[in-house]
Amino acid sequence: MDRSKYDVIIGLEIHIQTKTKSKMFCSCPTNYFNNEPNTHVCPTCLGLPGALPVPNKRAIELCILMGLATQCDIHNEIHFDRKHYFYPDLPKGYQISQYKDPICSNGKHLCLYAAPGEKTEFEIVEIERIHQEEDVAKSTHHTESNGQEYTLIDYNKSGVPLIEIVTKPCITSARVAYKFATDIQNIARYYGVSDADMEKGQMRCEPNISVQRKGTWKRLDNKIVPINEAVLNPKVEIKNIGSISAVEKAINYEVNRLIDEIEQGKEIVQQTRGWDAVKGKTVFQRSKESADDYRYMPDPDIPIIEITQKDIERIKETMPENSYKKYCKYNKDWEISDHDAYTLVFNGKDTYEYFEDLQAKLSTSFDTKVAAQEASNWFLTTVLSISNESGNKDYNSIATTKDLAQLIEAFKNNILTRNKAEELLRESIEKKKNLGDLISNAKKHAKDITGNIDEIVQEVIDSNPKAVDDYKAGKEASIGYLVGQVMQKTKGSADPNSTRSILIEKING
Amino acid sequence: MDKKTLEHIAELSRIRLTEKELEKFTPQMETILESAKILQEIGTTNVQPMKKHIPFDNLREDIAKESLTQEEVLANAIHKENGYVKVYGKIFGGIEES
Repeated sequence: MDRSKYDVIIGLEIHIQTKTKSKMFCSCPTNYFNNEPNTHVCPTCLGLPGALPVPNKRAIELCILMGLATQCDIHNEIHFDRKHYFYPDLPKGYQISQYKDPICSNGKHLCLYAAPGEKTEFEIVEIERIHQEEDVAKSTHHTESNGQEYTLIDYNKSGVPLIEIVTKPCITSARVAYKFATDIQNIARYYGVSDADMEKGQMRCEPNISVQRKGTWKRLDNKIVPINEAVLNPKVEIKNIGSISAVEKAINYEVNRLIDEIEQGKEIVQQTRGWDAVKGKTVFQRSKESADDYRYMPDPDIPIIEITQKDIERIKETMPENSYKKYCKYNKDWEISDHDAYTLVFNGKDTYEYFEDLQAKLSTSFDTKVAAQEASNWFLTTVLSISNESGNKDYNSIATTKDLAQLIEAFKNNILTRNKAEELLRESIEKKKNLGDLISNAKKHAKDITGNIDEIVQEVIDSNPKAVDDYKAGKEASIGYLVGQVMQKTKGSADPNSTRSILIEKING
Repeated sequence: MDKKTLEHIAELSRIRLTEKELEKFTPQMETILESAKILQEIGTTNVQPMKKHIPFDNLREDIAKESLTQEEVLANAIHKENGYVKVYGKIFGGIEES
């Protein structure tokens, strides 16, 4: 099959839940993840008659932030509209969204991408709009033992701030679409707009794809129009993509499927398909014979919100330095590995803020670069891995930067071994003990041990004559055993290297 | 306004209309649309919508407050199960009027 006869035209719709404490139009808390159903709900997000929406300032700031980060124009008036449809996950019968005047429009993002071992290429992805809306409730579908189908609804997610990023149909390959989605995720995390975790539903990606024979179409005002009398193929929308890597897989699958159908002379109908990650294929969901009829109208409950240039400037001032600049500082100036520097920059705002705070604290005792490398190494292998295991994203509640800096200093000054230090950190978390106190105790204990390390070493030599003889006979490995014995007696507080020297000195002496 | 359009509107609103109702409502809807048409004839280009404007700074600060209890949330639901609202019917169309 000759795929080069065809052009692939892709547009992306990306929904992101933004990171606020309260919902979009009411004060219900947004931290519903893993919580009991229907416990983060009030009359407003339940759509009870008479309840009025009150827009959340922070949510709109985050939407503007996302627009500024993707070179969008920011509208100076915010209008909200009602999008009507009847479905149990939408209790009001309409979703508050934006139709005519989105907050952000006309953005662009430079997408750099490369296949492994190939030259880096780029494509500019144009962003048509980023608008503010609210999330809907979560519904799960079940069947009763008698075959009766039913749906269970949890309104906790109803009304959580949601932004929708819509690109123009300008993306030319699955690879670029994948890279763009990754970049958007990174941008959202970098600027603290969202954690954008696709597994948790904080980010959703819906590509629309069409495949056209080369030379049959052109772009006119960002619409795809036929050349001469050519009949163009309708587009297909893919939903239910659960991870960033599935964006590329789903598009590739669908492009191949569409080309197969066309080659076989079948007619393509405009449709929505769902991605089945297990089977690795897209499945027909519904056809779009009649266009969606959402009967949009201005929401009379929400006044027009005026955004001044001063408001935008104030939001701009809160933006951190360019992420590439930060990456270069970590990678080139501080010599942190590519991989680690990337994680620190793009795991999210909380991550690099914590890391930089830790680095600054360590810089008072060590050289800037050493401080950075230790901070990176310790943060990634301890605090971040504990956070990933437990799902607790509040790094300071795992260990404050002050305590962690103390711990690292104790290690660097040979007061604690790396193992002992990590053990203290885990102990403080598991037993909910204050890390600062644990470090003070360990330091005191270490001091006592160092005072009589000679005695302990002598004891170990006296009670292990065989190992001592083996070592004298040239069996180097037995010194390791003896070091181990000392470590055991000192409960890991002794420094293994100096213990080793003292042992050798005593045996040879 | 013809019967087909009215049927479409009824479907979007998830209500079922009998043949008799369709016959009865079609001319009524026609009258409503005729009246609305008169309003549409008025030129409103360059007229600002009569809607209140508020400065960005006056918006609600992002502070979370207590929600209703699960019991209160579910108080109006006819069917419920393990803290969820329960709805019968298929995903697309045919949702039970509760």
